[in-house]
Amino acid sequence: MGNDKLQGALDLLILKVLARGPMHGYGITNRVKQLSGDVLQVEEGSLYPGLHRMERDGWIVADWKPSGKNRRAKFYRLTPAGRKRLAEEEKNWDRVTGAVAKVLRFA
Amino acid sequence: MRRLQSLFRRRNPDRELDEELRFHLEERTRENIAAGMSPEDARRAARLLLGNPALIKEDTRAVWTLAVLERFWQDLAYAVRSLAKSPGFTLAAVLTLALGIGANSAIFSVVNAVLLRPLPYPGSDRIAIVFLHSQRINRGALGSADFLALEQRQQSFDGVAAVSTFNNGLTLTGQGDPVAIPGSKVTGGFFSTLRVRPELGRTFLPGEDRPGHPLTVVVSHEFWEQFLHSDPAALGRSIALDGKDYTVIGVMPASFHFGPHDNDEMWPVLQLEDIHRRPPFWLFVIGRLKSGVGLRRADADVSRIAVQISEQYPLSGKTTGVVVPLKEVMVGDARMALLMLMGAVGLVLLIAIINVASLQLARASGRRHEMAIRAAIGAGRGRLISQSLTESILLGLLGGGLGLVLASAGLNALLALNRDAIPRANEIGLDARVLLFTAIIAVGAGIVFGLVPAFDAAAARPIESLQDSDRRTTPGSGSRLHQDLLVVGEFSLALVLLAGAGLLIRSLSRLESVNPGFHPEHILTAQLSLPQARYRTAEQLTSFYERLVERLEHTPGVDSAGISLSLPPNLLQLTNPFRREGEPIVPGRSLPLAEEIPVSADYFRALSVPLLRGRLFNEADRAPGTHVLLINQTMVRQYFPGSDPVGKRVQTGDQNPDSPWYTIVGVVGDVKYQGLGQQNMATMYVPYFDDGWSPWFVHSMYLVVRAHGDPTGVARAVRSGVWSLDDLLPVNKMRTMDQLLTLSTAAPRFRVLLFAQLAGLALILAIIGIYGVIAYGVGRRTHEIGVRMALGAGRREIFRLILGRGLALVMVGVAIGTAAALGLTRLLKSLLFDVSATDPGVFAAVAVVLVVVALCACYFPARRATRIDPLAALRHE
Repeated sequence: MGNDKLQGALDLLILKVLARGPMHGYGITNRVKQLSGDVLQVEEGSLYPGLHRMERDGWIVADWKPSGKNRRAKFYRLTPAGRKRLAEEEKNWDRVTGAVAKVLRFA
Repeated sequence: MRRLQSLFRRRNPDRELDEELRFHLEERTRENIAAGMSPEDARRAARLLLGNPALIKEDTRAVWTLAVLERFWQDLAYAVRSLAKSPGFTLAAVLTLALGIGANSAIFSVVNAVLLRPLPYPGSDRIAIVFLHSQRINRGALGSADFLALEQRQQSFDGVAAVSTFNNGLTLTGQGDPVAIPGSKVTGGFFSTLRVRPELGRTFLPGEDRPGHPLTVVVSHEFWEQFLHSDPAALGRSIALDGKDYTVIGVMPASFHFGPHDNDEMWPVLQLEDIHRRPPFWLFVIGRLKSGVGLRRADADVSRIAVQISEQYPLSGKTTGVVVPLKEVMVGDARMALLMLMGAVGLVLLIAIINVASLQLARASGRRHEMAIRAAIGAGRGRLISQSLTESILLGLLGGGLGLVLASAGLNALLALNRDAIPRANEIGLDARVLLFTAIIAVGAGIVFGLVPAFDAAAARPIESLQDSDRRTTPGSGSRLHQDLLVVGEFSLALVLLAGAGLLIRSLSRLESVNPGFHPEHILTAQLSLPQARYRTAEQLTSFYERLVERLEHTPGVDSAGISLSLPPNLLQLTNPFRREGEPIVPGRSLPLAEEIPVSADYFRALSVPLLRGRLFNEADRAPGTHVLLINQTMVRQYFPGSDPVGKRVQTGDQNPDSPWYTIVGVVGDVKYQGLGQQNMATMYVPYFDDGWSPWFVHSMYLVVRAHGDPTGVARAVRSGVWSLDDLLPVNKMRTMDQLLTLSTAAPRFRVLLFAQLAGLALILAIIGIYGVIAYGVGRRTHEIGVRMALGAGRREIFRLILGRGLALVMVGVAIGTAAALGLTRLLKSLLFDVSATDPGVFAAVAVVLVVVALCACYFPARRATRIDPLAALRHE
């Protein structure tokens, strides 16, 4: 799988996490790890460029909100465009994984 | 909008990213500590997991910058494609803008060269001219006594130099035909004051301008090429100027210009005799202000000296001094005219912008469907605006590029037409500043006319537009209102420009119909400069002139011939104070001034100036000790009211009880010597052979010849008549009187020409504008008109409906424009002759012209509307 596909998977994970509510970057890594039962570890170095790219493309928007005592964090949330994108990506993912599974079964 | 915001976001994105990453590290560290790590290990582990923060930041920033660039290229490609898709619109818009921007670039390059750019001498802002100021003359020349004192006693200048410019040039002999070369005699400090160096040889050495030293001359590059054949060995060679030998010591570079029209070709050394004199006042003085010395201090300094000298020569009149920056002197009246032109050309650009905006609006409503689709598929309002702006700015730049080509061609035509009407004309051209100016107005214009349709487009409501099945859907009433406002604005601006042009044209025609005081047809004029070396005595001079007039009057084709020191309409050489007999001598008092002109008796016949009383000069006046005068009507009216002046006596020159008395023998009609636009001034004519005159004054005289027919027909005969008496004498500046009259109004005619062209351009743009809007309106209302016709409206009513809308727009435009013009044309006041800045005739004519042409422009779309077939129009849906 090329880099683009990996990127696609990261995007899908981020969008999916954000679909459950606004979250900051650090929270996203934790949530992915937690939901995948510690199997998936987000490559933190590419998380932030990815978030900013999605923000640029209008899938997500960001707000600075207080987090804990006297601190603030940048919370990302899905836009309607992002929600649509998530649906597409999920469908796409199902198709690709389904296809891969078929190949694995018959090969 | 969010994306647009992030483009121009004022928050600092770098700092936000820092904060974001810091938050991440701190949270991770905390978690690690909670999991039992030491704080140091916890921090290290967090860092390790995140990776190199600098790299992350770089990648994140790239996400945004790449996006901006990418979007820019996308927008540009989109703009190019959409402009290419409607070539008619693009061509019309680019041409309109090119005319508007080109006119601005051309006028700005003149303003830039004349007003903005410093003079081409190092540190030129420190160079000033010293004038004498008296009750009579605001900025006058200095006497030799003044200059010599100034040179010794002044404390404000690093150097001063006196310049004596010869209106008629210096006569160069010994190099083929004798020829007059424009030039100025200058004292030794001239070149060092200007801080200019020769390209060859040297300039003057200290003391070289003292009497008794050998005469030297510095020549221009052009002179060196033309007369010295670019020979470096020409240095040290001797040339004959006005009959004296001068050694060529240096050649100035081609870039060096000086003189009244920047056209001096040589600078012979001026050796002022140690005999200090005052009057005459004949020297212009340049100086380089010491650093830190302001104009006011320099004024005080030169005034102190001028007062000392006027006390030393009490009869020469009280004077003070005044110091004026050289640039201000050179630019003179041109400043006002240029600023006015700049304003006019700005209005033309506004009209051009309005026109393109209006075109854009019309096109935008055709593209509404496309815009709606783009909005529906997620293009944000900001993105639509930025695309629309990119397109407009691209149009602006295309127009600006073509405009520069037009400007450069226009400038050449302009300068070829009239170089003398513009000071510093040889410095005019397209330089970096002009390019920058053009770029700025091109982009600015693009933004201005782009914003109107941009907001119009962004306001598009996708749902409504998509629901409407008609692709050429009706725009909201807002957009139609926009278009109407644009047409009204256009006509207001055009009216202001037309009113200005109308006033200037009227002023010029008044000026040209001024009675100059003589009959100009059939007159040939020329100028003679008798070299002082060969014509030393008064006897030699008068005998030459006498024989010349005699010979010319016996030439076939010549009716009469005369000579004069000054020529109408604007070549006055001398004014002189006078005192009537019986008036007391009061030291320090300023006497009245009159034009004083040595002439021959037949001068009046040659010009056809009427003798009103008494007699002209005759042979008896030649008797030694006889001094007679003719005066003009104005002098009678102002100084001899209610009495017969013939037989009365006056003294001329400054108050001196010993000067000779002149008897008035006759009165002649008024003649204009200071320009057609000026009031008549008192004039005294003396016979050229009068022995009370220094022969110095009559060395250089104008020849006036009245021919029976075409004056150019006797030109050859006049030349050979002169050469039969002296074959070393150049016959300069041969012109007909009609040519002189035309030349004298060259500057106002030039202004009229430019202004009228701008007004014409504005008118054409306004016509195109109203035609476009009305024609577009008819196209858009086809359905409505069809319905009206189906319901029984006649063709005449439809015609009136369409024409009425055009007329209403124009009327409002004319009303607003008239109000604005009434305020603005006051600025033209100083350029108008004998016409009020609010001349009702001009304003009425301009309003009528605008209404008539607008109706013509609306006629065709209105007629088209009457030919609409109601059935076809209703099916059109």
